[in-house]
Amino acid sequence: MKKLISLIKATMTSNMQIFKINTKGKKGKINIFLVSLIAIYLMGAIFGYAWYFLEKLSLMHIEYLILPLATFLVSLFTLIEGIYKCGPLIFNCKDDQLLLSLPIKKNIVLFVRLFKFYVFELMFNTLFLLPVILAYIIFVKVTAISFYITTIIMLLLLPIIPIILSCILGFMSSYISSKFKYKNIVEIVMSFIYLLSFLYLYSQGNKIMDYIMNNASNINDMITKIYYPAGIYSSLTTNFKILDLLVFIIINISLLVISIYLLSLFYFKINSNLKEVTKTKSISNNKELKIKTSSKTSSLIKKELNTFFNIPVFIVNAGFSMILYIIMCIVLITKLDGLINMINSTGLLMIPSSLITNNMPIIIFLIISLIAYTTSITSSMISLEGKNINNLKSLPVSAKTILNSKILACIVITTPILILGCIALIIKFKISIINGIMLLLLAVLIPLVNHFLGLIINLKHPKLDYESPTDVIKQSASVFISMMLGGLLVLASIGIVIAIFNKYNTSIILLIVVTFYIIVDLILYKLLSNIGPKEFKKLNI
Amino acid sequence: MIEIKNVTKKYGNKKAIDDISFNVNDGDIFAFIGHNGAGKTTLIKAMVGIHDFESGDILIDGKSIKNDPIECKKLMAFVPDNPETYEHMKAIDYINFICDMYDVDQETREKNIKKYAKLFDMETKLNDTIDSYSHGMKQKIVLISALAHNPKILIMDEPFVGLDPKAVFDIKEVLQEMVKEGKIVFYSTHILDVAEKLCSRVAIIKEGKLVKCGDMKSIKGDKSLEKVFMELEK
Repeated sequence: MKKLISLIKATMTSNMQIFKINTKGKKGKINIFLVSLIAIYLMGAIFGYAWYFLEKLSLMHIEYLILPLATFLVSLFTLIEGIYKCGPLIFNCKDDQLLLSLPIKKNIVLFVRLFKFYVFELMFNTLFLLPVILAYIIFVKVTAISFYITTIIMLLLLPIIPIILSCILGFMSSYISSKFKYKNIVEIVMSFIYLLSFLYLYSQGNKIMDYIMNNASNINDMITKIYYPAGIYSSLTTNFKILDLLVFIIINISLLVISIYLLSLFYFKINSNLKEVTKTKSISNNKELKIKTSSKTSSLIKKELNTFFNIPVFIVNAGFSMILYIIMCIVLITKLDGLINMINSTGLLMIPSSLITNNMPIIIFLIISLIAYTTSITSSMISLEGKNINNLKSLPVSAKTILNSKILACIVITTPILILGCIALIIKFKISIINGIMLLLLAVLIPLVNHFLGLIINLKHPKLDYESPTDVIKQSASVFISMMLGGLLVLASIGIVIAIFNKYNTSIILLIVVTFYIIVDLILYKLLSNIGPKEFKKLNI
Repeated sequence: MIEIKNVTKKYGNKKAIDDISFNVNDGDIFAFIGHNGAGKTTLIKAMVGIHDFESGDILIDGKSIKNDPIECKKLMAFVPDNPETYEHMKAIDYINFICDMYDVDQETREKNIKKYAKLFDMETKLNDTIDSYSHGMKQKIVLISALAHNPKILIMDEPFVGLDPKAVFDIKEVLQEMVKEGKIVFYSTHILDVAEKLCSRVAIIKEGKLVKCGDMKSIKGDKSLEKVFMELEK
């Protein structure tokens, strides 16, 4: 037991480093303030949404539905996130050699890794579910102790099913990709297949809901058919039965025990196979060596692109937004009427067809804003240098050139797709030349804000000592802060559009937005030029 | 010539390097010795411009690393203690990348890459990605990329760790060839018998302070370098 606790402590400490921030001195106080502000903002926003939905649900006296709904959504996100996390946390651990050489049972090593995964998912779940639960407690004025007991048990057991599914899907990706020469490409394709499958299921929501409603005798039965833990939470909230709670606990614990047992049978064999494949995948060859000269900037850009295209999670993160953008463009071009009908059929919104077609330039601006906001690349580019940062700093090239090349690499990755989509929409909807030019300018200017902002924030909050790129790309403070600030800027620009929508014509509105983004880009570029090299100089590992 | 003038570097309140001064002349193979945590890597990082220092200056051929870092770096090549590279790159792409940073022309890079790849038995492996390499092979790639741009000054932090005996022998040959051309080789090491045979000058650092510096012969006298070092450690 002592060994187990010691092992958990050691591995957790190393993984929790990703959340560590400097809390000393004036900078530390600013960091604490910023982190608190973001946490309050995020939890406050979730609380606000939950309250809004509770008000709507209370009209039909089904407030309790917010809990299974939130449980289901959080579990779905946990599952998607888990597929990426289980790589570095379960299958591709850096401490394999160390732990397997120690006098510890292999099953304990596996248990510790799964426990670490569980703790991460528990933190993630709690961050999102707590504000919803709090909103429900205040809104409904819950007094029953049984609710609190159910909720605590639910929070503790909820990550189990998603992590088991994540392990299965994550293992499938790693195993299948390891069989191919171009491992990364297969891994990326598998990730996109998962994400697009989730997206497809989401788009088929109406049909699935119809089927479930026709085959479920009541609302709790219906939710249980969608996702068992969500259904049982709903059922226990409305009609607490200790037996149901016990069954739920037993099912989860049994699933966990069976999974650990089954995994322990194959885990270490699979893990060593995966490593062997990695070691032997590159076979020496006598192909002609490509020795060629490039300029510093072009060589640095190539290096950045090489990093980007060799980290599957990096591509999936940025690429998913781009694929979404392409899908949006295709749907707008080929099925605009169908889309409007679909939105109107939900009953949530009633959009006159003319409103969309008459304001297509504004719709395109909104799409570009959304896509640019969700494509965060530079916010992890400094961190991903890792221990290479010292080598980079020892080279005879200025920090400004290095930083500019990172921005240029991001432009190469995102801008062509945004511009091509934009041109297709401009042609399809016969947008005037003036508006077309301004939309093309926005397709360059809006993502640039995110690129500048991400790089500045990553320079301020680097994580050079990461365990796996997933830590940096998916969980680092830099990515989180960039997304928040980028979101605020996008919201500000959308706010400007809404404020002047009825006062000016489309061209003037676009001109104002273009001017806004030119000013923001110039400010951020100046900021990056001034503080970037100084912060770069401070980087050290 | 490298001139280290009263350099002090602090981590928080702790002085990692305390007022160190010495020169490294053209044609020197210079060994920099000290126990773990003595400040060797800290000084090397300051010399190659990886991190700043609080006071003093380091001049590379008369230019200050503080005021003119790019010009100084153009003269140097740095081989770190751990061969950190861009693992996803093919070795040849990584070497090309380093050569691009030093503006190495096509002819020179072709000649040098082929020469050093052959010397380190890496000719047939340069088209592989670096993540498939062993520690020693990575170290060889770092060495090839460092030597490919004909640096006037080669600065290495424990360069022999993880290398096979043949590679160690070959590097020693290359270093001797370099100093014959009037170039400077400066390296930190724990392998004292190699340093004793190979180096013309030596500096010993202890807890951030320079305790000995001079010609190898005058520093060790009749004793071995190991003996001198152990006496200073007491």
